Amino acid sequence: MESDYDTQDASDMESMEDDFYSEETVVRDGGDEDEGKCGFSDNELDDSDGIVSERLQQNYTVLDETDIRQLQEDDIRRVSTVLSTSRVNACLLLRHFNWSVSKVHEEWFADEETVRRAVGLLGKQVEMPNVAELPCGICFEVHPRTAMSSAACGHPFCESCWRGYIGTAVTNGPGCLMLRCPDPSCSAAIGQDMIDILAIDEDKQKYSHYLLRSYIENNRKTKWCPAPGCEFAIDFVIGSGSYDVSCNCSHSFCWNCTEEAHRPVECSTVAKWILKNSAESENMNWILANSKPCPKCKRPIEKNQGCMHITCTPPCKYEFCWLCLGSWIEHGERTGGFYACNRYEAAKEEGMYDESERRREMAKNSLERYTHYYERWATNQRSRQKALAQLHNIQTQKLEKLSKIQCQPESQLKFIIEAMLQVVECRRVLKWTYAYGYYLPEHEHAKRQFFEYLQGEAEAGLERLHQCAEKELQVYLEAEVPMKEFADFRIKLAGLTSVTRNYFQNLVQALESGLEDVGPNRQTNSSNSSTSKNISSKNSPGNSPRSSTTTNNLDNYWYCERCTYANPSSNRACEMCEHRRH
Amino acid sequence: MANTNLPRRIIKETQRLLSEPAPGISASPSEDNMRYFNVMILGPTQSPFEGGVFKLELFLPEEYPMAAPKLGRICLDILKDKWSPALQIRTVLLSIQALLSAPNPDDPLSDNIAKHWKTNEAEAVETAKEWTRLYASGA
Repeated sequence: MESDYDTQDASDMESMEDDFYSEETVVRDGGDEDEGKCGFSDNELDDSDGIVSERLQQNYTVLDETDIRQLQEDDIRRVSTVLSTSRVNACLLLRHFNWSVSKVHEEWFADEETVRRAVGLLGKQVEMPNVAELPCGICFEVHPRTAMSSAACGHPFCESCWRGYIGTAVTNGPGCLMLRCPDPSCSAAIGQDMIDILAIDEDKQKYSHYLLRSYIENNRKTKWCPAPGCEFAIDFVIGSGSYDVSCNCSHSFCWNCTEEAHRPVECSTVAKWILKNSAESENMNWILANSKPCPKCKRPIEKNQGCMHITCTPPCKYEFCWLCLGSWIEHGERTGGFYACNRYEAAKEEGMYDESERRREMAKNSLERYTHYYERWATNQRSRQKALAQLHNIQTQKLEKLSKIQCQPESQLKFIIEAMLQVVECRRVLKWTYAYGYYLPEHEHAKRQFFEYLQGEAEAGLERLHQCAEKELQVYLEAEVPMKEFADFRIKLAGLTSVTRNYFQNLVQALESGLEDVGPNRQTNSSNSSTSKNISSKNSPGNSPRSSTTTNNLDNYWYCERCTYANPSSNRACEMCEHRRH
Repeated sequence: MANTNLPRRIIKETQRLLSEPAPGISASPSEDNMRYFNVMILGPTQSPFEGGVFKLELFLPEEYPMAAPKLGRICLDILKDKWSPALQIRTVLLSIQALLSAPNPDDPLSDNIAKHWKTNEAEAVETAKEWTRLYASGA
């Protein structure tokens, strides 16, 4: 499956190359604050972005309760029509086959008898015995026939017992959707029609709610939005590419693993990372790196101050030397006093402690490495939360104020919201690049270098945008009268927004492709190099990216020995790292 | 207290259990709690438990018959998810009696005994007979 998407993404990338290159013009000019150009390219961008977002929108739909009920009803009606069966039976069949209309049809027409037996649909209705009074099979009382009910099987039970029977089943949970006749030898299904006639209102509602939930939860292509309290569901077109979905409640998540959206990192990496963040493993590493076990009771001890004479806490109370872990009784003046241990020094000379020291050192290094990435991951997470709060603040207060001061209709100020939305999105991507970095193998130096360069650029670009959206906006918010510079601000911020959006889109694609352009096979694999060029050629003011795509002849390039960047043959030094060509 | 508001169904079941007891089964309610039954099941003839008297305690919870009666640790589907309010004390006890005639070593309470039963049934049957004589001879 994964590889399918990969190739699909790759081909998408190819087909969209032109778009990216046209956007690159903006990437290059973004920093110049050239108003005319920015404004122009911005328009151009809006078009292509429209295509991109439309393309992404197509693979899922957000459903509210009304939508879900409508879809469910449509499916029920379809089955009911095709099988010429009642609505209730169609509903029971669909639930049994996990709401797959085609599966119901397939199974039904292949072997109707088996399906009927499995679901509990009797061939024909059996009436209750035609006598004036009947005994109830549950309370054993005799009731008038008119006060009794039965499923299609004709086993009579009184209304009160039905109420209790259904109530107990509903209380026990969604299993009530598969309720059968109370008679232990009978498997006749109890459908929603009987529930609606016989149950109390509360149970009817619960049943109906379970039915709704079942439609989402037992269906392969739908899931509830995992945000707390959110009641929307997502209908996803399976096999359609990116798993990132954005619910109407504003929560973005990965449809595949239902963690928060995490492009460009894979689901499995996210799971590992989350486990690592929460697991005891880091505590264990810390203990390993910073403590030694008591030689007697084996409890870990951290030595934070004092001399080498350690007394373990009660009940152990063992006294030992921190350095050689031998009993303190054998220590004292003759072994070097309280702050040294010549036994330890002697043994160390002979290499006795090397192994455990090395392990301690390794644990310490690995802990430090993890901490490095975790801190940055968490910082971006916090920045994202802050940006979300700012966005909310702008939407609810500042926009109105700004509209008054600058005499602009609020509809004309959407670019500020878009900028902040972009900041929020970028923080999310940036955050996950740290998990990406943590799992990028140490020995792939070229990839790591390239990755860190891309990440650094991403940070810088995002800072620029954030700065502009936050600080520069403040000037116009505090102004007394409309400022003519506001038009420039609009152009600049809108320009920065699209520049940053493009950069991050390219970054995500490059990381998702596993930075495949970088590596020992670079030369032979060079037809895929579009991604890195997209991102990196922002540093090439003299080079026209358009011409480089049209001339797809890669002989015109040379690859930098140091950073593997593809340079046009006219360059004598690498555009990327300024390493000279040999 | 527990006997006030005793559902008619429980009263009827009790009366029937006392007036027409199932063969080899006796169930009588406790004097101070009509929901609490002392049960005796005779070991079925031609089973290793023949000649034994097996004592059980059975309790009817508040939700009975919507919920199953409470018995000791017996692996019986109708006491769990297959319970139906159309089942009765009598049907439950008959099922237990049947279980003595045909033990189900695939769903055991004791793994060791089940293993023994599966690997050497003759020997396991002898053990069962011995234990029936020692511990369930009605003394």
